[in-house]
Amino acid sequence: MRPGLAVKLAVLLAAIGILASGLTGFFAYTANRSMLVEAAQRNLLTSTQLLNRRFAAALTDIGDDSRLLASLPIAPRLAAAGSGKERQREENMLAQAFAAMMKIHPAYLQIRLIGAGQNGLERVRVDSSASRPIRVEGEQLQEKGHFPYVFETLRLGPGRTYQSRISINRENGTHSAQDKPILRVATPVYEARGPALGVLVITVDLASLLTTLKADLPKNYGLYLANKWGDFLIHPNPALTFGFDKGRRFFMQDSFRATRPLFDKGARSTVLNGLDEPQQAAGLVLAFEREPFSSSDPHHFVVLGLSQPLTGVLDGAESLGRSIVRMVLAFSALAIVLAVVFARAITHPLNMLAHAATRFSSERAMEALPLKRMDEIGILARCFDRMRNQIQSHMAELLEHQQEMAYLAHHDQLSGLPNRTLFFRQLEESLHSASRRQSLLAVLFVDLDCFKQVNDEFGHAMGDQVLHTVARRLQHTVRAQDLVARLGGDEFIILLGDVSDDKDLPAIANKILDSLREPMMLGGRSLSIGGSIGISVFPRDGCTAEELVQHADQAMYEVKTSGRNATRLYSPPEQRTGLPG
Amino acid sequence: MRQTKRKNLLRCGLLVSFFFAMRPVLGLETLRVLAWPGYADPDVVARFEQRYQAKVEVTYVDSDEVLWSRLHSPQDQRFDVVAANTVEIARYVAAGLLAPLDLAALPNTRRQSPRFQALATIPGLVHDGRIYAVPYTYSTMGLIYDRRQFRTPPQSMNVLWNPRYRHKVLAFNSAAHNFSFTALGLGIAHPFRLDREQMKHVTRRLVALRRNILTYYTLPEEATELFMEHKVALLFANYGTQQLAQLRQAGADVGYVLPREGALAWLDCWAMTRTAPRPALATAWINYMLDPGVGALLSRRQGLANTQSHPSAQESSATIVWLAPVEDIAQRESLWRRIVSGDRPERF
Repeated sequence: MRPGLAVKLAVLLAAIGILASGLTGFFAYTANRSMLVEAAQRNLLTSTQLLNRRFAAALTDIGDDSRLLASLPIAPRLAAAGSGKERQREENMLAQAFAAMMKIHPAYLQIRLIGAGQNGLERVRVDSSASRPIRVEGEQLQEKGHFPYVFETLRLGPGRTYQSRISINRENGTHSAQDKPILRVATPVYEARGPALGVLVITVDLASLLTTLKADLPKNYGLYLANKWGDFLIHPNPALTFGFDKGRRFFMQDSFRATRPLFDKGARSTVLNGLDEPQQAAGLVLAFEREPFSSSDPHHFVVLGLSQPLTGVLDGAESLGRSIVRMVLAFSALAIVLAVVFARAITHPLNMLAHAATRFSSERAMEALPLKRMDEIGILARCFDRMRNQIQSHMAELLEHQQEMAYLAHHDQLSGLPNRTLFFRQLEESLHSASRRQSLLAVLFVDLDCFKQVNDEFGHAMGDQVLHTVARRLQHTVRAQDLVARLGGDEFIILLGDVSDDKDLPAIANKILDSLREPMMLGGRSLSIGGSIGISVFPRDGCTAEELVQHADQAMYEVKTSGRNATRLYSPPEQRTGLPG
Repeated sequence: MRQTKRKNLLRCGLLVSFFFAMRPVLGLETLRVLAWPGYADPDVVARFEQRYQAKVEVTYVDSDEVLWSRLHSPQDQRFDVVAANTVEIARYVAAGLLAPLDLAALPNTRRQSPRFQALATIPGLVHDGRIYAVPYTYSTMGLIYDRRQFRTPPQSMNVLWNPRYRHKVLAFNSAAHNFSFTALGLGIAHPFRLDREQMKHVTRRLVALRRNILTYYTLPEEATELFMEHKVALLFANYGTQQLAQLRQAGADVGYVLPREGALAWLDCWAMTRTAPRPALATAWINYMLDPGVGALLSRRQGLANTQSHPSAQESSATIVWLAPVEDIAQRESLWRRIVSGDRPERF
């Protein structure tokens, strides 16, 4: 069975309701997620900026330390070449100052005073070895003039500081600083006048510097640092850092395309997240900021970035998501109930109409209709009611016409008797039942004698009256179950059913003739009319209506030819030859 | 009736799938290429694919170490052809990774300049009379000089030590090449095979060079920056003519010379692996790579010299010393670290 309108409507309405609440829930959920992510991005960018400021401040502090040491009065003297006991004492003093500084700052892996002369020979050098300061002297001192932190710093004016690029320290024999990511902060050493005599260099352990910087950041934050070409210096995956040192470079702008403008367009900061850019930042929220790195080189910068797992950011969204799902489910259930109720309310009067229409068309029954409603259904009901009434009256008229037509088709208008058609139909039906019951049946062919003369003498109107009277008389003479019909002109035919004995037939026929012969008063004149009657009997004289009528006609004809006004049973020709005419 | 129909269908299906399965073998053979970025650009590869109705899969490497490990990939990811320098080729031959080549199947080798047709003169390519690789591209390590600071182009390697250019020289931070070119400058016959005495001599000479230079560089960009910033007069061009182009782009008025003592050069060659399943296709690829058109594209796009074009007069007359394996790279590296760190000559 196909679903009805009520089901369809209910499904449609419920679907609309569920869809509406589902979509609203979905958009609320996604909007909330992106809001959370945006807020996290903002916070992360603020943290990144803060970290950058602290990084810059830490570098400034290191610069201050280097300036402080460089400004010691013995520094310029020791920067120049020399020897002797006094120098030895002063070198020890400076070395002690270096060691004291390193004790305060565990991130300082090396503090050196390097002379401008003798190819940048180290003059006083203290390294850190297993967190303890260790003095490097004599033969161990190396020439450093070819390193940028020496030749670049020597070009700076008094009080300025140089910041090296962040790199892996490949200088041999540097104890704790060896093969570690470091940066160097240096200050030129000047006397009151004259050229720079040397440089004071502090080597800083990048890892411990950043550890202190990010100490109060949550544990699951990732830290990124790239130099101005984009080479990673710090990355949660250490294998990707200092690629240039291993002959295979890994660039920040390749890992995070969004950072490209920081390197080539001078953009200051950028944020990205795994929701919008799952390719670049799968499962992460990231913020990057570009920070000028060196006071001596305005073009030098680093890019610092922080990452935060997206899951932590979206925790809030998940609980909201769950309550949204519950809400959507509840609203969907409500939508289903409402849809069913509403669909039924709409379809009930329609069903009434449909039922009324069905009953009307099948049984002409006038069922109750929702006529009082003021809506479209009410209009429809009223229209239908009107239509139903019209149909009803049209049908009644039609039926009447039909009956009239049927009567006209089967009756002779003049006498009101059944006509030939009706007679033959009745005869055939009677033949059926008679043959079933094996009873007798007789057909009497009646022809008025000298009817033509009546017509000629008294006119057709009179003739018609005669025919009318004959019809009445014939009807009155036979039994109610017998049938009298007019075949046309002055010919009548009578069907006698259930004839018990064919010997009675001449008597019946004579009785008919007698009734015909009675004078009739027409137009003030008495008129007597006779008739000739031929009789055929079923089954003896024929089995079909045609045969019976034809044989009755033949018998009647024989009466006519032998003097009229008599009756005669049909006899087949072979019998007739033996009988007197 | 129905049963047979179904059987026929099944047969049809099997035929179709068989056809598709056979396609790569019948029509499109796959060639797996291991090369350096820029050696097999997509358009160059496409032309080969069209010409030989083959499919080419190029895998790029960015270091000799990666190349070595790729060549030892599992069976199903074996490569057919590989581009590597002469030192690496020698190593692969020793490890039995390469198959000998038939020069007759490489007609394009006859269009190469005579220097590259004389395969026996290039170390590492010929073993036991059989040829294992053919040259593809190379880069010399000459000297780049500032034309405004040199009236005539420098002739000798030893100009790097000239105190006249003190702190105006840039050297490359590398263990192997620096020992070799210093040895060349000292007139040592076998710069890649230094004995103890020679090594000591060369080391001291490198300390002397350190005292004469401004600094060492690692990346070409770094060298360009230093060159411009510090008015450098002379630099040892580890990256060859590629570096020259970069400097000129930065606005430097520079020239490039190959010193008369000889210039080191790396030479990348194409070789076929021993496991290549379709040697004919692999050979066709190598021959195609030696096509002058492909060579010209390489030079135009990468700034690398190809082996077909006629070199400049200066270059063709110069001695080019192809890189060869050194006697003890670990020793050179440890010495080099000490030199760079600033150890004084007395300590060597």
